[in-house]
Amino acid sequence: MEAASIKAGTPKGRRSRGTSERRLAAYMVSPSLLLIALVAAYPIGYAVWLSLHEYSVRVAGLSRWAGLDNYSTALSDPEFWDAVQNTFIFTAGSVTFEVIIGMGMALAMHSAFRGQGLLRTVVLVPWAVLTVVTAMMWRTIFDPTLGLVNSILGTDIVWLGESPHAMIVMIIADVWKTAPFMALLLLAGLQVIPGEIYEAAKVDGATMWQRFSRITLPLLMPALLVALIFRTLDALRIFDLPFVLTKGTHGTNTLSLEAYQTFTANNIIGLGAALAVLTFIIVMAVSFLYIRFVGGNIRGLAEE
Amino acid sequence: MSKRFLFLLCAALACAVLVAACGDDGDGGGGGAGTEETGSTEGVKAVDPASMEGATGEVTYCSGKDTSGDLKETIAEFNEANPDLKVTLVEFPEDAQQQHDQFVQRQKAKSGDCDGFEEDVVWTAEFASQKWLLDMSDYIETRKDDFIPSTLETVTFDGKVFGAPRASDAGMMYYRTDQVKEFPATWQALYEQAAANDGLVYQGSAYEGLTVDFLEYAFAAGGTVLSEDGTKSTINSEENIGALQFMADGIKNGAAPKAVTTMTEEPARRTWEAGKATFMRNWSYCYALSQKAPNVKGKFAVAPYPEYEGGGKAAVLGGHNMVISAYSENPGGTLKFIDYATSPERIAKNASKYSKTPTIGAAFDDPAVKKAMPFAEALREGVENAKSRPVSPVYPQISEAIFKNVNAALSGSTTPEEALKQADSDINEALATF
Repeated sequence: MEAASIKAGTPKGRRSRGTSERRLAAYMVSPSLLLIALVAAYPIGYAVWLSLHEYSVRVAGLSRWAGLDNYSTALSDPEFWDAVQNTFIFTAGSVTFEVIIGMGMALAMHSAFRGQGLLRTVVLVPWAVLTVVTAMMWRTIFDPTLGLVNSILGTDIVWLGESPHAMIVMIIADVWKTAPFMALLLLAGLQVIPGEIYEAAKVDGATMWQRFSRITLPLLMPALLVALIFRTLDALRIFDLPFVLTKGTHGTNTLSLEAYQTFTANNIIGLGAALAVLTFIIVMAVSFLYIRFVGGNIRGLAEE
Repeated sequence: MSKRFLFLLCAALACAVLVAACGDDGDGGGGGAGTEETGSTEGVKAVDPASMEGATGEVTYCSGKDTSGDLKETIAEFNEANPDLKVTLVEFPEDAQQQHDQFVQRQKAKSGDCDGFEEDVVWTAEFASQKWLLDMSDYIETRKDDFIPSTLETVTFDGKVFGAPRASDAGMMYYRTDQVKEFPATWQALYEQAAANDGLVYQGSAYEGLTVDFLEYAFAAGGTVLSEDGTKSTINSEENIGALQFMADGIKNGAAPKAVTTMTEEPARRTWEAGKATFMRNWSYCYALSQKAPNVKGKFAVAPYPEYEGGGKAAVLGGHNMVISAYSENPGGTLKFIDYATSPERIAKNASKYSKTPTIGAAFDDPAVKKAMPFAEALREGVENAKSRPVSPVYPQISEAIFKNVNAALSGSTTPEEALKQADSDINEALATF
């Protein structure tokens, strides 16, 4: 009897403690939720609201409800799809090279040798340079008449005035700037791999390649995937490089640049906002795909 | 495990939010007040010329970076002469597009940050139709005879005057006197000489500068951009296609290097000053700078544009106007400053000391100006005969349609016919913007 009543009472008590704890938790996180709502949800909601309207460029203050017209205009515009294509080419190109080069840099920085501290500092310099400054620097290097590249190669290629050269320059500039960032994230991942594992592998006679592919790479995977997500989402929003290098000509117009051009330069607010929202949706979709497929891996790895 | 998921989600969200926030930096102006398609400046506020008498307080004047320094000197002198009225300068970036965007952002937010603004000549229609500027007609009426008529056209929209021209400009042809014996009489002859020597550099990158450069050829060839009433594109004409074909052929046969398709003013000047071009199309500001460049110093001269075979002569007007923001809390004080900054004496001083092109005819006759600008006559001819770019509230889109397609034709990725056909449909689309 007694035991039964205790048994019966336990789940009840747990439940009530659960709800009160949950309520407390809700109170505790509510300030942050409110803050997120203010800084994130409001602007996004406002952008969506703008994208459902048309604002006159002729008559001040005149606006009308447009429904999804702005979206259908954007989606039926070949320039939008060009921008989508360019953005994805840029993302794939730059992120691939950044991972490869960043990995090399991280491995170099990880191995112990004299001047290691200096190397780590020097390697980070490009990351510290503003993107706009980076872009101007590369524009000067690839200047067709006075630039370094044409002088060295003895060519007279108009790098930023031709397709696909312009995209290549843009990817080079981005890789130069962000490979160190990638290296930094990967270095952090490398440093948590215990040295004993390598020692054991050495004792077992594993070659350098085996140690890299069987130990380093799998254990680095979580850090690598987080770095990949960061860089991919960042690359999908690229704006400053094409803005400075080419103004979006010769196959370098990106989604962000297209939205900016429409919204700010041409003052077509509704369509511009629709383009920004579409960019948002594309970036969101890509990040969900990552989390769905790659993020699952991270969880799997963590559970192992 | 769920922590990781949350972290990733937050990271993704944070990135995504940044994207959305980018597109959300302004207010479209609320409410559906008024439904008229025309008479878009109706009910715009005007500034009373009498209000500048005894104006006091503070005035903020926004302008692109004052690279030559004349504006800073003007403000310093004004502040000294008017202890009760303090003018502060806010400098925007050097890039014209960014100046435009910075000002537009403030006006969209109905901010009084900029009492006055140094606008580019092509922005009047856009700003005025959004009612961002005060109507200055009454003030300009009192000074009508001072300004060169072509410069006043650039501040006029819908029959009202929205600003005072402070600096004018017209493109000119710089040429190397050691390579060119006699300045060619026609564009065609000029291209032949350029091909035989080191070529012509101009602004061929896809931006506003290319719109100007293209229109110089197109207007000279007899072409137009908009119909008389401004409702239809006329860009796809035989004259314009001919002019564009002429420019594209010039790049093909070496009269202009292919690199011009990426050049703005400064890269063109650098190439020219490195001694790597025989001709350069640029604005008057290069004169003083090139006099200091060792490779071209003393070896060049300046001329107005030659004639286009089968057409005539034409230039396109550039320059800057002083306008008053509709959200200014001190319009009287701002007008008082504008009155000072555009006085004939000040404009002459800007020319003689800082090579700024006068907007006032009398300033060209000033002996100090004639001495400082040996090319003053060429410039005056250019300014007086220069044509305005199309006046329209959708000018940014029209210009984009021109420079994008012209740039594509110059870089050879499309033909002149195709490019102008596309520009034609782009412009008509722009004109139909709500």
